[in-house]
Amino acid sequence: MLVIALLMAALTIFGGTKNKRITEAGETRIVQVNKFLDAENLVLLAKDASYIAIMAVGMTAIIVMGGIDLSVGSIYALAAVVGALALRALQAQWLGVPIADSVPTVGGAPLWAAVPVGVGVCCLVGALCGFANGSMIVGLKVHPFIITLGMMAVLRGVVFVLTGGKSVFSFPDSFTAGFFKARLVVGDNQVYPVPVVVMLVVALIGSIVLARTVLGRRTYAIGGNEVAARYAGIPVGRVKIVMFTLVGMLAGLSAAVYLGYLGAASSDAGQGYELSVIAAAVIGGASLSGGRGSAVGAVLGAILIQLITNAMIILDIDTNYTNIVMGAAIVVAVVLDQVKSRFVPSGR
Amino acid sequence: MNTLFKPFALGFLALGLSLSGCEKKEAAPAPTASGSTSGAARTPSSSPAPGATDAAAPARAATGGAAPAVAPGAKRALVIGVIAKSSGNPVFQAARTGAEDAARDLSAKYGIDIKADWKTPVSEDAQKQAQFMEQLVSQGVDGIAISCSDGQVLQKSIDDAVGKGVVVVTFDSDSPSSKRMAYFGINDVDAGKAVMDELAKAMGTGGPVAILSGNQTAPNLNARIEGVKQRLEALKDKGFTLKQVYNTKEVPADAANLVQQVATANPEIAGWAMVGGWPLFTQNALDGVNAKVVSVDTLPEQLEYLKSGKVQALIGQDCYGWGYQSVVMLVEKLHEGKNPPAVVNNFKLAVVTKDNVAEYEGLWQKWLGKKSGN
Repeated sequence: MLVIALLMAALTIFGGTKNKRITEAGETRIVQVNKFLDAENLVLLAKDASYIAIMAVGMTAIIVMGGIDLSVGSIYALAAVVGALALRALQAQWLGVPIADSVPTVGGAPLWAAVPVGVGVCCLVGALCGFANGSMIVGLKVHPFIITLGMMAVLRGVVFVLTGGKSVFSFPDSFTAGFFKARLVVGDNQVYPVPVVVMLVVALIGSIVLARTVLGRRTYAIGGNEVAARYAGIPVGRVKIVMFTLVGMLAGLSAAVYLGYLGAASSDAGQGYELSVIAAAVIGGASLSGGRGSAVGAVLGAILIQLITNAMIILDIDTNYTNIVMGAAIVVAVVLDQVKSRFVPSGR
Repeated sequence: MNTLFKPFALGFLALGLSLSGCEKKEAAPAPTASGSTSGAARTPSSSPAPGATDAAAPARAATGGAAPAVAPGAKRALVIGVIAKSSGNPVFQAARTGAEDAARDLSAKYGIDIKADWKTPVSEDAQKQAQFMEQLVSQGVDGIAISCSDGQVLQKSIDDAVGKGVVVVTFDSDSPSSKRMAYFGINDVDAGKAVMDELAKAMGTGGPVAILSGNQTAPNLNARIEGVKQRLEALKDKGFTLKQVYNTKEVPADAANLVQQVATANPEIAGWAMVGGWPLFTQNALDGVNAKVVSVDTLPEQLEYLKSGKVQALIGQDCYGWGYQSVVMLVEKLHEGKNPPAVVNNFKLAVVTKDNVAEYEGLWQKWLGKKSGN
């Protein structure tokens, strides 16, 4: 986490200032603000991290158990596409028009109908996929790497079969501008805080579940020593299935945020996100050999990844260098974490 | 972690406080302005179009000799963000050269500092493009040129950018329902038709035709497929049939492998209609392929295939122009309030065959040579 602090300090100092346009009632004025510390930039940064962070909280639990889930990117896409189809159908039904590629977004389904349907369908699809992963891993006794690698391809294929490659759009405004992209005006800043709030709530609940519940303690126990956990009477299979279902559900929730924020679902959404999610969890202190990791760490890991992208933009560095810096950051963060754990005894 | 988190929070807070002096410092407004800074900025201009007023203000103030709208000493500059689909695709490297050349040429022409800021995901990702777009807007760019990986996913981000006074143009792949000022690229249905026309000419007699496409979500590629299919339908009586549409990941090596596998498994395929040139960005994509091939794009790597006779025709896109013309449209709008000739600007398709391949080679040398400072 020292890395985050250093990077933030560097960005604040070296980022310089920018001319910010503020449009109020048709009048535009320009103010100078620090490029990094600008509230809009900070919320944007946290918002971009939220999609990865929400999934990383679940991934941390899986990694703590000594497992891995490579299918989160595909679950994300499938949940987004099915959620999008459901929202479009809901909107068409509410307006009394036939379901078509494009239906009006204004009016139609109100917030109390659109949000539960959108979020519910996305989470349900995600949870079902996660349940399938968990059941196969436990039932067939195959390593999670193999099952989720297979599911990654299968689910992506399902997405393309469902949509024919087209994107799905036309949701009720109450789901997009009315909720997930609700605008908050604070002084001179216009921010869209809902994805960030969702991320913080998930981090809080994830922390409580992992640190303070029986399920959480069992997760650490399985990661520490699965055989010992089994002899201690922990229902290892059941815990695994529950955790894979939860990570699937979180991928679904993340997909709902994506749908609400961007207002359309693309069939290639979330390609390669599994690696970002795993990277976030690992940067956040999760040990791939199991037994160690925290939900808050995962969120901070996701923020660090996003901070690097933000740094590229603020410091005006060619985006082609992003991957180099990102890879180096992963190694540095993990090495620093190991050095730290050598000097500071950790309870986890 | 908690032990480390505290100093981080304190350090961040301290930095924030120490730097808060430069936050939200109002840029000195023109003392003569009757109401707001923007009022002063608008006065000298001859009816600028809406949306461009604020962004063009510094530039206009500089050239028109009007009251300054930015802080004294501030650079007279325009920053144009350029977001292509992926930095791994050579056609977008040409677009980048075009954008950077346009920025340099127009800087000299107008006497202001214009910068083309290249922000492109490594591989295609519409969500990442949307994030780049928002961050560029947040950083205060004046205009953005974007080739949309998914026009629908990007629509809200484009509209938001326009709502915040940033002028947006699309190139190569459009977002037609968004509030972008203009689009620059080919008419994709026509390009598909041209591919099939040339292929039919090369094949002579009929036969099964395979279509090679890329990302299934890209509307421009789907439109080109539509064009090929329309022509195939018209040529049905002459024995031309559609074998299948094959999609690749738009990675040259993967595309080349796919073509070879399909050709090996289906020797009856008599023609390949490639709506993008990915396999031809490698050297040996057509080894063992005995069909006639016509492809979109005219990159230097593809021209080699024309010369060796393995590809019969290429349908040219102005990849350099994507970048060049987009920046020209943006700067003309921002600096002079001048609207582009049309909302949808289609450039003429060029058909490159063995006969005129030399001309195109020269063109590419010029385009890519310019980057090294010619």
